[in-house]
Amino acid sequence: MITFESVTKRYPDGTVAVDALNLDVPDGQTMVLVGPSGCGKTTTLRMINRLIEPTSGRILLDGQDIMQSNPSTLRRGIGYVIQQAGLFPHRTIEDNIGTVPLLNGWGRGKARARARELMTLVGLEEDLARRYPYQLSGGQQQRVGVARALAADPPVLLMDEPFSAVDPIVRATLQDELLRLQAELHKTVVLVTHDVEEAIKVGDQVAIFRPGGKIAQLDTPERLLAAPADGYVENFLGFDRGIRRLSFLAASGLSLDDQAVVGEDTSASMAADTARRAGDEYVLVTGPGQQPRGWATASDLETMPSGARTGQAPLEPYGHTFDVRTDSLRAALDATVLSPTGRAVGVDDGGQVVGVTSYERLRAAIHAAEQAVPVPGTPGGAPAGPGDGQVRDPAPEAAAES
Amino acid sequence: MMWSWIPQNAAQIRQLTLESAYLGIAPALIGLLISLPLGIACSRWRWLYAPVLSATSVLYAVPSLALFIVLIPYTGLTDTTVIIALTLFSFCILVPGVVDGMRSVPDPVRQAATAMGFGTLRRLVQVELPIALPVVIAGLRVAMVSSISLASVGQLIGVSSLGYFIIDGYQRDFPTEIYVGAGLIIVLALVCDLLLVGLRRLLTPWRPRRSSEETKTVAPAPVPTPMVVAR
Amino acid sequence: MSFFSYAWSWLKQPQQWHGPEGIPVRILEQLGYSALALLVAALIAIPLGILIGHTGRGAVAVVNVANAWRAIPTLGLLVLLTLWLGFSVLAWLVPLVVLAIPAILVNVYEGVAGVDPELRDAARGMGMTPWQQIRKVEVPVAMPLIVLGLRTGAIFVVATATIAAYIGLGGLGRYIIDGLAENNYGEVAGGALFVVLLALAVQALFVGVRRVAVPKGLRLQGRSS
Repeated sequence: MITFESVTKRYPDGTVAVDALNLDVPDGQTMVLVGPSGCGKTTTLRMINRLIEPTSGRILLDGQDIMQSNPSTLRRGIGYVIQQAGLFPHRTIEDNIGTVPLLNGWGRGKARARARELMTLVGLEEDLARRYPYQLSGGQQQRVGVARALAADPPVLLMDEPFSAVDPIVRATLQDELLRLQAELHKTVVLVTHDVEEAIKVGDQVAIFRPGGKIAQLDTPERLLAAPADGYVENFLGFDRGIRRLSFLAASGLSLDDQAVVGEDTSASMAADTARRAGDEYVLVTGPGQQPRGWATASDLETMPSGARTGQAPLEPYGHTFDVRTDSLRAALDATVLSPTGRAVGVDDGGQVVGVTSYERLRAAIHAAEQAVPVPGTPGGAPAGPGDGQVRDPAPEAAAES
Repeated sequence: MMWSWIPQNAAQIRQLTLESAYLGIAPALIGLLISLPLGIACSRWRWLYAPVLSATSVLYAVPSLALFIVLIPYTGLTDTTVIIALTLFSFCILVPGVVDGMRSVPDPVRQAATAMGFGTLRRLVQVELPIALPVVIAGLRVAMVSSISLASVGQLIGVSSLGYFIIDGYQRDFPTEIYVGAGLIIVLALVCDLLLVGLRRLLTPWRPRRSSEETKTVAPAPVPTPMVVAR
Repeated sequence: MSFFSYAWSWLKQPQQWHGPEGIPVRILEQLGYSALALLVAALIAIPLGILIGHTGRGAVAVVNVANAWRAIPTLGLLVLLTLWLGFSVLAWLVPLVVLAIPAILVNVYEGVAGVDPELRDAARGMGMTPWQQIRKVEVPVAMPLIVLGLRTGAIFVVATATIAAYIGLGGLGRYIIDGLAENNYGEVAGGALFVVLLALAVQALFVGVRRVAVPKGLRLQGRSS
């Protein structure tokens, strides 16, 4: 969809912002350009809609050299979202959103109707339509900015640090919104950010830039974390990339132990036996609907009077659970670390216990996953994109489940 | 204060009030018209603003009476002389006003407009000027109030306006006339000021109505502000 | 004949340059009246502007009053005071001062009020008393605008002094008023020419004042922005 052919941007004072860049932005995916300040990522982005013009090289949009098109026409076919939104203060929200359709000759009624459609799409209440930008919060303004960029249904969306100016909670929400929108619309998105976490969260492809306008590595987020190309990339990715990489591995790959799981109505002595036979100190006690209730120790169970039920034993809280089908290994690891017993409880979507992990089982699952994931750069390496069963880590939700 | 004088001279009062209005409002509006293109150019090309500002500040420093005198050999003892001089003063006030107004357009807004496919002219008319409007109107208020007041000085060179009552009242030792003359000038100026404020409110429903907005300067500096001192 | 030829025809007369009504004397008179009026106006407007700028109280009033102030016709004020007080110092000094105050006040207020709030915060945090904050931080930072206010005030003062010749004040305006009465356009033009030159000279003076009064760091900052 968008191709950079040996594009260079050199300024009159000699600085080279972008250096012989070759880049292919695939259709319908989110490409994130990330890097430190001054690495040329924003320059690269702004060359796509000709806000900056390359010194040499070609940029092709859908096969056509962008320098051949009239700039205004070109830009009306490209959505552009910036950090401070840049909303027109003197127009209402719906007129802001409808700007490009109006430029393209739509009637005002039609443009406003389209604006309201988009407001719903980006999660804004309709009664904000007649308000003015100054009356909206930062997060709301950013949503309007995105709606405005999408109004003329452009195939391409450029985003320049779109979420940097809002607080972290709003930022996370907006990032989730973007993922949701993309799942629905499949636009070709090029997003610039200096936050590598953001890049990994929202990007299908991530290009890490070096200062001086060259790409250090271009890969899927998962392969970046698994195999950084050099020390610079590794450094840039940050210190716990091993654990972060686990977000891309499914918890469904874990084999869970269901031996040491007993119902609360089972007799205490039987539960104790189960534990001893399994060689475990703990059993997980479940309630009537197979929900987890807590951990009981074998010692406690043995000292209870005969005829006592397991459910009457003193129970340790079961801590955090993880969903075995949708959560990642990272969530499972996190739950395990947080659990008072060093074991985490895996549940299904009904909250019913499926089984229990341990550090051992986690280690095995990680090892198995690494065998299965292709090494980047080898011919047999198939791209891991969405839909391959690789899950991103909805960490906040998993951690909140208790 | 002899109140009966007023209805006795109602016709003349009306006549001269209209004169003052004409001599005050016309220069402000013409000044706006000629300051717009130059102001827009100065906001676009920074290097242009410094010399322009130096020139206008020099011009603005010239006392009105002196400027009237300078023009007399060319335009005579007529309305035109007064109007040209007051237009020049309005111009000196409005060019910085227009420039400040254009500068008040936030950069992200300009950038977003270009990125959306607005051509330069369309962006100017549909985005930049409407946003610049409040500041420009602030300048227009100053220009208009000053013009209405300064027009009365034209009476000294025989150009009639409400200033006539001031001079006549002085010569005849008749304060009532002076009160009426000066009073009407002030009222006329304030009415125009209020009308412009109303116009601004009407045209800019998009501005927050915080009182802090009102305390911001309404007086653009006709002489170089410290940021743009010519060298 | 052009303006300059009129002026020249009068200027080249040697008698215009001598005596108690000669050009040099008139220039000095005008400068004297203007300087005095500016000083008084400054003594009123600067403290007031600093106070309002520092405390923030009365800010809305400043802007609106300053605007309304411009509506006051110069001649009206001069003439009324002369009628009430007879021709005296107050009759011309009060209008000159009154008409200059808003220009100074607005600029001083803006200068002080416009000091970066973080700067103020830092000053307070360091334990400066309000008076110290004003003296050491707010006024120096506001200096460019304070000087601008004085410069603008000077414009009004010189202009009003010129017109004040109508009620009998000396100075260069004398030539204009007398010349108009006698239909001697040469005198009128000559007077006007010197008024213009004087006005410009006063402006140039203030450019110099700025260089001296404004702290170097601020001046440099202003130039680079």
